[in-house]
Amino acid sequence: MRKYLGNKTAILLFILPALLLYTVVVFYPVVQVFYRSLFDWDGLSEAKFIALDNYKRLFHDHVFFTSLYNSAVFAVIIAIVQITIGTLLAFAVSEAAMRGRKFVRITVFIPVVLSITVVCQLWLAMYNGEYGLINKLFEAVGLSYRQDWLTDRHTAIFALAAVNAWQYMGYHFALLLAGVKSIPESYMEAARIDGASKMKAHLRITMPMLAETYKFCLILAFTGGLNAFANMYIMTSGGPGTTTYTLTYMMFRSAFRVGEFGYGSASAAFLVIECLIVTLIINKLIARDPIVY
Amino acid sequence: MRKWTLALISATMVMGLAACGSSNDNKEQNSANTGNQAAGNNAAAANAGDSTNSSSTESVKLRIYAQYADEDTKGPYDYAVAELKKAMPNVELELDVQAQDDGQKLKTYAATGNLPDIFQAGLDIISTFKKSGNILELDKYADDFKAKIQPSAMNTLVTDDGHIYAFPYAGNEVAMLFYNKELFAANNVKVPTTYDEMMAAVNAFNAKGITPLALFAKEKWPTVALYDMFASRNDPAGITKLDKGEAKASDPEYKTAAEEIVKLVKAGMLPKGATNLNYDQAAALFHEGKAAMFLNGQWEIDASTKALGEKLGYMYVPAADAAAYESSKLTFSGGGGPGGYAVNPQTKDPELAAKVAAFISLKYAEFKFTQRGTPMVATKVDAPVVNKFPPVMEQLSKDIPSMKTTAFSWGLSNPKFKAAIEDAAQSLMTGGYSPDDFVSDVDAAISSK
Repeated sequence: MRKYLGNKTAILLFILPALLLYTVVVFYPVVQVFYRSLFDWDGLSEAKFIALDNYKRLFHDHVFFTSLYNSAVFAVIIAIVQITIGTLLAFAVSEAAMRGRKFVRITVFIPVVLSITVVCQLWLAMYNGEYGLINKLFEAVGLSYRQDWLTDRHTAIFALAAVNAWQYMGYHFALLLAGVKSIPESYMEAARIDGASKMKAHLRITMPMLAETYKFCLILAFTGGLNAFANMYIMTSGGPGTTTYTLTYMMFRSAFRVGEFGYGSASAAFLVIECLIVTLIINKLIARDPIVY
Repeated sequence: MRKWTLALISATMVMGLAACGSSNDNKEQNSANTGNQAAGNNAAAANAGDSTNSSSTESVKLRIYAQYADEDTKGPYDYAVAELKKAMPNVELELDVQAQDDGQKLKTYAATGNLPDIFQAGLDIISTFKKSGNILELDKYADDFKAKIQPSAMNTLVTDDGHIYAFPYAGNEVAMLFYNKELFAANNVKVPTTYDEMMAAVNAFNAKGITPLALFAKEKWPTVALYDMFASRNDPAGITKLDKGEAKASDPEYKTAAEEIVKLVKAGMLPKGATNLNYDQAAALFHEGKAAMFLNGQWEIDASTKALGEKLGYMYVPAADAAAYESSKLTFSGGGGPGGYAVNPQTKDPELAAKVAAFISLKYAEFKFTQRGTPMVATKVDAPVVNKFPPVMEQLSKDIPSMKTTAFSWGLSNPKFKAAIEDAAQSLMTGGYSPDDFVSDVDAAISSK
């Protein structure tokens, strides 16, 4: 190992392809976003340097605050639902005594591999105010709780978050299940000998030992939620009005509908910073040394 | 190890700076495009690279960006191409199907120097491409076309700056309120002429379990058209005054329109989940007799006549009272604006491309007039009508000479206002958005112009 680490040329050679790819695919566009956010630019004509004017405008734009709020609501909902249900399912499936474990594992993961367009179309049909399955279910159990799920200005963002939470729950479940399985049996055995219940053992042993996995899941769920776009684009087109706009959708609207690429870049730059801050906070909150078994 | 880490960070930063630096090249490229002198970077030129000029009979291939998605768009294109083959056998068109994406694909083509030789352009594209030098001024190629344009459609040919950038084929099309005569008669409902009568109709149809008005409000333009219909009862300029910054949404004429719509929506004028209803769903409600009224452009006449036959009619938009109704009934929401087939300034042979663009537009109009039964085309058509006009179109054609129009949302000139009115008008259709919210959101966009 020391021999390999001592060969600096080899290190550079191995890192260079990935570094180049990262620079071209990630670093360059991010730098461009920040750079372009300082211009008044329609994407085609010559750009005019306006320094921080786009950012000043951003903080006076009510659409920006709506988008910010929606992104936060979306991220919090999907993080809570996906990680909570993912954890419960992972604990259940890790139990040898549970019947139908394989079935649960496969069915929960199926939505993850489906195209997001397919999932959105499916839920569009289920949410339909007139003939949708969800309203029909309420009717079937005698509840007159018919809703215009996607057209109510106050509930639309929650309805969209539910779709995303359902689709990607299986992904978090798979990560958590892998984490649970990597914990040595001896820890649980020791807990059992000490008289701990299943619940207590999971709370005191499994969950703390999954801290690294939770950190990863939280980062994925929060940044995924803050970046949300596809659900809004396919299911509501950001509507009704601007009620399901997120920062990504706002960026899309500014750049492609209004033709203000500079302003769109400013909201994208804000989004990048927001995601970085959230990642840092999560890292700080769940900071601990990796456990080596 | 630290030295190597530093070296890696430096390399990353150098690449980052290189990335920033390259933007200057883009700028230069853009300014070159503005000057219409960009050489060598345009694929259109490459496409026509093996072409000769128009006087030659050698074959020429031109790339065209046109709508070709359904019967409505494939028909005129196929007809125009067949006619072109007869008139200019040496010209071959390579079709690039237009995306329904607010012009994003076309703008990307322009930004990457890959613009087709001929492309469809609306006012938004014309305004943007004019600034960036991506659209050819057609004044010197338009003499023949000008002679064929309908005098009433001159607004679709010439832009505000007095120049021609696209050859139009669509005339001043309008949004209309269609209704099912049989449903109104069977339920003893008077065709409304005032807001009160409209409210009475909404209540009567709701009581019978019939949707009063089918609106595909998932698309935002029909919601703007509905607002414009109400606003233009009070001011014949409708939303065009707001677009130009000559009026504010807080002005009584415009605020009242929002208030009336909210009242009607709250009373149940629209179907459940209207803002998530697409054209097929809304049209099905109307065509199957489940909705009494339907808002769409006059191009709907063909489909609705097939579904409803003699039962189909159209009404003038109700107004505050009988006098206002009479004075405003011939003001239609919609209308045309500059747009049609435009030409890439970098094309190898601009004269030939302009000639082909004009020819295609003329043939589109000819097809629509003779085979689609629509008199609303931009140019005069001499060919005999194959499919005669449906009765509703006959009725509408009588209104055309004295008709006044406003604008469709896609014909608005201020993109910020366009986006804001589209969002705000769609919100109005939920019933949970107050007229005051509407006024403040729209006025914010007008003032940030």
